[in-house]
Amino acid sequence: MLNEIEQNRKERQSAWEYVINYFRKRSIWLLHYCTGCGAVELPPVMTSRWDLERFGVGPMATPRQADVFLVTGYASIKTLKRMIRTYEQMPKPRWVIGFGACTINGGIYYKSYNVINKLDRYIPVDIFISGCMPRPEAILAALEELRNMIQRGEAKGYDRYVKNYDWYKKNQKEILEREGSLFGEADDENK
Amino acid sequence: MVGLLFIGLGRIITARVQRRIGPPFYQQFIDVIKLLARESIWHHWIMTLGSIMALGGLIATMVHVPVAGWLPYDSGGPIFLILYLATIGYLGMAMGVSASGNPNAPLGIGRALSLMLGYEIPFAAILILFISLTGSSSLTEIAAMQTGGFLSWNIVKFPLAFIAAEITVQAMMAEKPFDQMIAPSEIASGPLVELGGKFLGLGMIQMAVAIYFETAIMVNLFFGGGANIFTFTLKQFGVYTIAILINSVMPRYKIENAVRYIWTVPLALIIIQMLIVFLR
Amino acid sequence: MKTSDILNKTKELFPYISTELFEEQQGRIKVDNERFLNVLAYLRNSSFVHLANIFAVDWIEEKEFELNYNLWSYDHNSSIIVKVGIPREKPEVTTVLDLWEHGQVYEQEIHEFFGIEFAGNPDLSPLFLHNWKEIPPMRKDFDTEEYSKRAFDVGEREGAK
Repeated sequence: MLNEIEQNRKERQSAWEYVINYFRKRSIWLLHYCTGCGAVELPPVMTSRWDLERFGVGPMATPRQADVFLVTGYASIKTLKRMIRTYEQMPKPRWVIGFGACTINGGIYYKSYNVINKLDRYIPVDIFISGCMPRPEAILAALEELRNMIQRGEAKGYDRYVKNYDWYKKNQKEILEREGSLFGEADDENK
Repeated sequence: MVGLLFIGLGRIITARVQRRIGPPFYQQFIDVIKLLARESIWHHWIMTLGSIMALGGLIATMVHVPVAGWLPYDSGGPIFLILYLATIGYLGMAMGVSASGNPNAPLGIGRALSLMLGYEIPFAAILILFISLTGSSSLTEIAAMQTGGFLSWNIVKFPLAFIAAEITVQAMMAEKPFDQMIAPSEIASGPLVELGGKFLGLGMIQMAVAIYFETAIMVNLFFGGGANIFTFTLKQFGVYTIAILINSVMPRYKIENAVRYIWTVPLALIIIQMLIVFLR
Repeated sequence: MKTSDILNKTKELFPYISTELFEEQQGRIKVDNERFLNVLAYLRNSSFVHLANIFAVDWIEEKEFELNYNLWSYDHNSSIIVKVGIPREKPEVTTVLDLWEHGQVYEQEIHEFFGIEFAGNPDLSPLFLHNWKEIPPMRKDFDTEEYSKRAFDVGEREGAK
């Protein structure tokens, strides 16, 4: 059993990466960029009640310094444009946490004409937190899970982004640079 | 190394002031190792040159600061050379980050340099006071003047000058209320805005070195140096703790108000101190 | 001066409007889209200097848009809403920029979300929507749910690839 686990680990990452991943997981810096209402849950997590700094997690001001991109809540189309730019500015390794129901399927903004529904079609998401809003405990649990994933070498969203770059770019263009109406002639006649 | 440890302990102190537990004391080492192992995005070779120049300038400064009376070679801790070399670090950083092309970076550097203009005047006044008393510009001799127990330390002899120097050092270390240079919520951490990976790691080491030699100067000037390296480091940590405690409860000045404040209050304190000393 | 007095005085001057005292401090005036500028200009000059908001309502069954000009007087502490009906087929009114300069943003927004033309407004460029190709989204005949399904709820997720 132990040998199998060891074997799996070696297939995924070398010993050097294993050591570096230990340091990476102990020092996760969040990008201080908030897309939606979810950001309101972060102050209690950062401050004295839950104290995220215990785990070496802290807010960072610019994408160049940050490790984790926290998409807090709904992302409108204009926000999506900025999110993609921000994500592409971050140096590797970089991770994305989808925060709240809105990033999973649109949440209460499902019917909105201006809010995207499936975040993982546009940027690679490593871990989702469900709930509207997620409790601070849920955020801590997600970060704990992300740390384990980093240590196991499974959190490879940035690799997927490179590998499936065409697919992501196609989806992004569908939203951001669409030509022509989505409602054809037939719909107009029915009205 | 000691500087990094100081920052780590400083983060715990800040956390305790804010009623948090805080990170482990070795957190800074983890951060630096992670950053050095990370992908670094660079825009121009000047960025690398600037980072190395900044680190080199600071290390060159540190060579001249006596630690518990010990120096790598017998320079005697020439105080003006130290002040001169300390600016090289900042200029290197200015050069490096200006090459990154982000408008926030020159803004932060501009603030850092104008703040430097502010704090060098009261600091020079303190030095004039000590140099006229000891007749020497050597840090080793200033420290040696104060041997012989607690009461002969300069902090007891010249308390007003110490308060002024504490304010000045607060500005030197860019701790609040003088952290206009990095101001994360205003100018997105200023000079560090485009630095990722290795550059940020080097930047953190620079910060650690800067804190180390600034506290060392303070200990030499006011706390009588140290008998051995342990008491010296302990005194340094005391100086840093005062700075961190002020930092964790203070808001931030606007840059022009900060410079005006440094030019008035600490300078006035030193002049009063000088009058007391020379007229007595 | 009380709000009811203001309403009565306005009614005397412009007999073609219909007034209604909604609450003690809030009155409503309904006027057609040919002559509404007279009423607005009069109110503007009799201490209603603050245009708090302009908003539009789409009455799809009556086939008209209703523009609401939300005015406030600091002198009399009273608020008056001027309602202007516009036919849905030809949604065009005169701008109020000459009376209140800051109406620019409100008119721009209403033009973007309802497609109402403001004759005389020099800049009606889009403010909020990105690359919008459909009919203006706040109109009642725009099906947001269907749009959301077609635009965002399509294709496979990342894991299915």
